[in-house]
Amino acid sequence: MEVIRAKNLVKTYNENEIEVHAVQHIDLSIEEGEFTAIVGPSGCGKTTLLNILGGIDEPTSGEVFIDGKEITKLNDNELIDFRLNNIGYVFQAYNLIPVLTAYENTEFIMLLQDWPKEKREKRAIELLEKVGLKDKLDSRPGKLSGGQQQRVAVARALASKPKFVLADEPTANLDSTATTQLLDIMYRLNQEENITFVFATHDQRVMDRAKRIIRLDDGKIIDDKKMD
Amino acid sequence: MLVKIAWRNIWRSRARSLVVIGSIIVGVWALLFGNGFMNGFMVGYSADIIQHDISNIQVHNPEFKKDYDIVFTIPNGDEKANEIRQWEGVKGVSTRSITQGMISSPQKAAGVQIRGIDLENEAIVTQLDSMINEGTYFEGIKRNPIVIGSKLARNLKVKIRSKVVLTFNDANGDIIAGAFRVVGIVKSSSISINEMYAFVRQEDLNKLLAIGSEIHEIAIVTEEQIDEALIVNKYSEIYPDDKAESWKELAPELLFMQEMYGSMLYVLMAIILTALVFGIVNTMLMAVLERKKELGVLMAIGMNQKKVYLMILIETLFLAFVASPIGLLVGYLTILYYRYVGVDLSNYSEGLEAFGYSSILYPYVDGSVYIIVTIGVIITAFIAALYPAWKAVKLKPVDAIHSI
Repeated sequence: MEVIRAKNLVKTYNENEIEVHAVQHIDLSIEEGEFTAIVGPSGCGKTTLLNILGGIDEPTSGEVFIDGKEITKLNDNELIDFRLNNIGYVFQAYNLIPVLTAYENTEFIMLLQDWPKEKREKRAIELLEKVGLKDKLDSRPGKLSGGQQQRVAVARALASKPKFVLADEPTANLDSTATTQLLDIMYRLNQEENITFVFATHDQRVMDRAKRIIRLDDGKIIDDKKMD
Repeated sequence: MLVKIAWRNIWRSRARSLVVIGSIIVGVWALLFGNGFMNGFMVGYSADIIQHDISNIQVHNPEFKKDYDIVFTIPNGDEKANEIRQWEGVKGVSTRSITQGMISSPQKAAGVQIRGIDLENEAIVTQLDSMINEGTYFEGIKRNPIVIGSKLARNLKVKIRSKVVLTFNDANGDIIAGAFRVVGIVKSSSISINEMYAFVRQEDLNKLLAIGSEIHEIAIVTEEQIDEALIVNKYSEIYPDDKAESWKELAPELLFMQEMYGSMLYVLMAIILTALVFGIVNTMLMAVLERKKELGVLMAIGMNQKKVYLMILIETLFLAFVASPIGLLVGYLTILYYRYVGVDLSNYSEGLEAFGYSSILYPYVDGSVYIIVTIGVIITAFIAALYPAWKAVKLKPVDAIHSI
């Protein structure tokens, strides 16, 4: 089943009156359960494409459909609500709320969705257990290592039961052990729970695990390959 | 959760939050103390005039105050005074015969209001005896004793036991002169008492005025919680031919001053709170801009603009909620302390007394002012939060996330 559909996406920035074509006429379809890596050199448009697919950024032209719904027509507040209920994010710099504990960070999304307390509590603990942080429920981000913070970010991204998770360079700030642990968790979630993951990365370790690799250069897809 | 995040956020930059909290505390304190100080001026000034001079209520013959013509006495004034003394809410009643005249010493002369007083009741009503600064309250001199104010004594260059001559018209229109000897000199913050009145025994004055036992004025002092209007109305109903007036009618300038001082609270509030608005806006704006990335992430993961707005608003209100009670407490304790010991302004006493103010002030703040100030600070915080909160919701998640 198709989760993401991008049609003729174009993103052009005007920097100092010079046009920069970050994304050029991209057509893309991502199916449920994919473990896809968008790869390419720095500045090739990976993050821009990911942001557009996730409704954080808007394309200059083109359309994005999530589960058949065109998100490029939504206004700011509709987009926020759409993101809340449909998309999970994992950022390069973890970006957890520093004043909340690991448990509270995970619970936060469900609170925004008005889940009842018992359900929130059960799911937050369950997710933190899945990412191996059950013993860190009450730790604030400042007390966690980079790898642990990123695992909390994964738990947070999954908390609202999104249709897919977008991860922008999730391993860029992690050492190899933390990277392996994180990828193991994501891969397991993908395999066991059929959660769709789309990565923007240039980390070979991520590419090694990916089931599909979309290669970008100068804002264009130059290769789209399913791995065995 | 928003409340929890907001509360924790204000303690992230402890020093900065404490600076804002401190400035709100100082602002609230300054508001209370400023108001207490002004009230001290005003309440002291009004109380002095009401307690020691005009009293809460005065009764006259309606014609008397037009020209102070001594023929316009209050019929059966003494009997009426005796009756009023029995009324509930009345603390004291004194009768006076009054005339305008000249007081002369060997060196100088001055125009005065000569007040023939009932010694015992005058002491109850105006506490004239307590204001004696030199000499005694009509003791020690048997024939025609007179009490005058300190400034008048200075002007006339007289001392205790000095002789002065009072000149005025009697009931027949003849000019009468009477020799009096200074028995006491009073000192008060009231300009009238210090400079413009001469107090003599009622019987001495009445004899010279040839008005028998008639009187011109009944001064009534009421219990503290009594509304003067009740007594005024009661008197007017029973004796419609006399004119009873409360201090508000007798000295409308006092009422005006009280209202003016009351509105000064709002002027002071406007000045202090406006300064606070800028301080809070500055701090909250810094907090928003510092957390640009975090706010972008919150919006990216699904926190809508309303909630982001609310979060910044709550953070700002928390600053006010933390600071206001402390400011109110500090202000209250300061007022409480100075209410007992007074603020000594004796260094400026000459200037103050020239305007009829006491040199020791007892600050006083009405209970309602604490509520007004609290509401004022909360509204200030609310207003101050609007711009930073607006800035926060206007952030574009994609730009905010990638900001440094």
